[in-house]
Amino acid sequence: MRSVGIGFVAAATAAAVGFLFVPALILGAPLEPVMGFVQKIFYFHVPCATMLFLSTFVCAGGSIAYLFKGSEAGDRVAASAGELAVLFGLCTLVTGPLWGRKAWGVWWQWDARLTSALLLELIMIAYLLARRYGGPAGRKLSAALALFAAIDVPLVYKSVDIWRTVHPQTTVVPSLDPRMRPAFWSAFALILLVWAVLFMVRLRLEAARAELASLRLDVEDMLETG
Amino acid sequence: MKNRNRWGRAWLLAVGVLAWLAPALAVAQDFQKVNGPLREELPATPFVAAAYGFIWIALLAYVVWLARGVGRVRKDLAELRGRIGEQADRGGPRP
Repeated sequence: MRSVGIGFVAAATAAAVGFLFVPALILGAPLEPVMGFVQKIFYFHVPCATMLFLSTFVCAGGSIAYLFKGSEAGDRVAASAGELAVLFGLCTLVTGPLWGRKAWGVWWQWDARLTSALLLELIMIAYLLARRYGGPAGRKLSAALALFAAIDVPLVYKSVDIWRTVHPQTTVVPSLDPRMRPAFWSAFALILLVWAVLFMVRLRLEAARAELASLRLDVEDMLETG
Repeated sequence: MKNRNRWGRAWLLAVGVLAWLAPALAVAQDFQKVNGPLREELPATPFVAAAYGFIWIALLAYVVWLARGVGRVRKDLAELRGRIGEQADRGGPRP
């Protein structure tokens, strides 16, 4: 396995520092008058949801490269992003109900936003399961699932504008109070940085696993011929 | 005529009793008037702490899982290189 570069070390250090610095900014941001303190969940909930969307798109991009061009690198990108989609989707689906319980009085509502987001998470879990247990056709099957997941992303995002739901609309971020923006965008940058670092490490691991598998085949050939 | 008056009196008595019992029925259903400013029943801090705690724990668990995966691959690679080295020492073909 190749050793890590200076860019990776810098990004990982910045992410670690950010986890100390950003919560202070969030606590210092003004309270929202209707929801009060529980609205602070917003600062990490929205970036996590955005990373779920980003991971799904990256996974679908890699899957397209693998399905239509047979790209092994594309498959590795898809596998790495697929895992991150499940991770950040889980963060979104746990923090959302915690916020909802206090703000709406219920843990869950079967409305368009929440249901479509749950569906997206389930498709991405199915993607990982198909890869792992799908047998010889598992990688192709999972790549097809990633395409369905990517189609669900715009639906999840626009659901709050199309249907009447209890969830806040997409206008929340653009119309955010200027005093809340530094905290929000810092949290967003931090989560994006964490995503990039995890993606790089996961991609390296996937490449190393592929190299190991190829080397094992070579060794077996060598032992047979030797 | 006498029966009619009796029914009328009974009806009035029933309405009066219900009107008298109405506040007691409302209390029995646990609807109570708020005195003073409205107090929040659920504190927000545990929800915010749980949300942030979950994100940190989930990310940390994933980092640990990745580190274990990297460690395993490194170990397997070292083992494989050792086998290749042994084979080369014996004068066999190199992959």
